[in-house]
Amino acid sequence: MPQPSIKRRLILIFVLAQALLAIGLVLTGAYYTHKRLVAALDASLQGRAMSIAALVRYDEDDSGKVYFDEAIVPPSLDPEHPDLYAIWSETSGLLAKSANWPQGLQIGTHERHHFDVRWNQVHYRGLRISEVPILDREPGASFAPQTLTIVYAAPTHRVAEQVRAAAIFIAFSSFLLVCLTSALALWGIRRGLSPLQQLAEKAAKVSAQNWKIDIPNEAQHMVELRPLTESMTTMLARLERSFTQQREFLGNATHELKTPVAVLKSTLQSLLHRPRSMDEYRTGIEEALEDMKRLEKLLEWMLRLARAEQWAHGALRRDLQVVDIGATCEEAVERIQAIAQPRGIKLHVAREVSLRLRADPEDLQLIWVNLLENAVRYSSDGTTVDLTVTMAGDSRARIAFADHGVGIPEDDLPHIFERFYRGDRSRARSTGGFGLGLAIAKALTEAYGGTITATSQLGQGTTITVELPLNAGPEVPEVEAIQQP
Amino acid sequence: MKVLIIEDEPRLAENIARSLRESAGYAVDIAHDGQEGSFLAEDDSYDVVLLDLMLPKVDGVQILKNIRKMGRGTPVLVVTARDDKESVVTLLNAGADDYVTKPFDLGELLARTKALIRRGKGQPSPVLKIADLELNTVNRTVTRAGRPVSLTAMEYRVLEYLAHRPRAVVSKTELLEHLYDYNWEKFSNVIEVYISGLRRKLNDSNSKQLIHTSRGQGYVLHE
Repeated sequence: MPQPSIKRRLILIFVLAQALLAIGLVLTGAYYTHKRLVAALDASLQGRAMSIAALVRYDEDDSGKVYFDEAIVPPSLDPEHPDLYAIWSETSGLLAKSANWPQGLQIGTHERHHFDVRWNQVHYRGLRISEVPILDREPGASFAPQTLTIVYAAPTHRVAEQVRAAAIFIAFSSFLLVCLTSALALWGIRRGLSPLQQLAEKAAKVSAQNWKIDIPNEAQHMVELRPLTESMTTMLARLERSFTQQREFLGNATHELKTPVAVLKSTLQSLLHRPRSMDEYRTGIEEALEDMKRLEKLLEWMLRLARAEQWAHGALRRDLQVVDIGATCEEAVERIQAIAQPRGIKLHVAREVSLRLRADPEDLQLIWVNLLENAVRYSSDGTTVDLTVTMAGDSRARIAFADHGVGIPEDDLPHIFERFYRGDRSRARSTGGFGLGLAIAKALTEAYGGTITATSQLGQGTTITVELPLNAGPEVPEVEAIQQP
Repeated sequence: MKVLIIEDEPRLAENIARSLRESAGYAVDIAHDGQEGSFLAEDDSYDVVLLDLMLPKVDGVQILKNIRKMGRGTPVLVVTARDDKESVVTLLNAGADDYVTKPFDLGELLARTKALIRRGKGQPSPVLKIADLELNTVNRTVTRAGRPVSLTAMEYRVLEYLAHRPRAVVSKTELLEHLYDYNWEKFSNVIEVYISGLRRKLNDSNSKQLIHTSRGQGYVLHE
């Protein structure tokens, strides 16, 4: 079975339409020709009937009798099938009829009408005229004038032949024209579809290395192709972004994994380097396990980030429910107490309003936990981390995390939400960070259509602010914002 | 020999240092960030520097450039997580002598470190020969006229250092600097002890003296 093809389909439609047109043309042409020929025949019947009528004369004896001068009847058009005629007078009845006048021919009695009749396998068209005056009555004659009734019929096969000839001529010329226009259409369609072909060629050049599509001018300006080219461009941009992100993630991940793997490997290799005492082996294995734990933790964080980013691209669906932002903040604070308390850091939550939105509570908690962990990590001992939940405008929740710690240098500030970014690596390491918490918070916030920003003053502290739209959850428009004083 | 490790991952630095001490008997100093590393590398008492690239405070490549700008010829072995061509080319062009990528093999790292030290002293062969004295720096054995000589670890290190620079006068301070880590000063009078031990073990009754004292300047190893 041939593959479906737009070109073939268009040609087929075109040829069908043309064929329909040709058939219509043949039919209307034949009809028109037939009509004109019959009209002409009718006119000639009328003339012939009149000329037959002219052959009826009054007797010269002034008696008012009439006779028919048969000798000068005009010859038939078709000698093989002679015309039929009959003539009656008011008084004398049948005056004359042609030799081939059929027996028992029924003709209507209207004053004047045409009729079609078939006789002896020949089609005739006839005319009946009555009330025809006899022309040669002398003025002042004493007898009353008579009128005649004439029936004249001629064979119609000539008409049929001519109609057929006309139909054949029209059909033949239509066929030629259809062939010609179809060839033209084929060329035109091929030409018309060429921008599509060019577009396909350009599209074939798109690859993971080259995301740019150079859309040909012709395709760009084609009204029908514009939705396609536009969606191609946006699709490619989206794909590239997502692909680059994945590739970057993979690159970052492998890079970040190398160091902990190197640590573990060197620990084990140096343990094997020479024979050691049982105690040394034990310490060595414990160290290796420590290294292993770090590696494991890093992997877990990476997976979390990958999931958050994937979800930010709409890849995973979650159980969404109406969540109280303040409540999730309180829970996150509970979880962070364990690392805050030993350092005497107080976590203070201020929630003047109760804000709800549709979300997965796990996601929100993960954002808050990451931001709190970050705040605590960079806080000075014995300070306070302030968490405030407020409204921002009519439909956004603002959740701010303010610490009173070392602050972030201006140069680092634009990068802190990047994956694996650590302004000060040695410090981050001593506090157990991988540089992923803020990236995870950002990915999740953006998945909910929110924004995350940071401001900082060196030595004073850092404030990270999350703004979440209350009425536009991910893929769920029906979100409620209930405000309670 | 003395090695400087500039590596911000403390466990990794410790593992490398331990292996260098245990298998080659090198003195090792560790710097945990770029600033400290840059400061220590200014000292020319190191025979090789192991340099991590991603460092807090001062970037590894910057340290490398600083070392070379000061005109130091100390061999630098870079330990990097990036093994793409571009970054390797950048590294070598910045003055690195060699590189290993993480996660590396500790044995390979040691071998490359030793090779760099040898080349840094103009001694391409791992077996050093002075007259009938032979030092195998790979398995750390010494023979004199084919007869094995048994040395203590410190005696070997003194001899190895001298053998790397034959016919050059090596001061006591230089020996101390290169054989001990940063707190070498408290060992200042032990060198004489090792030298006399070496002379005793290397010399039979009739063989020639190889270690000479250059009065007021130091020691020379030659025929």
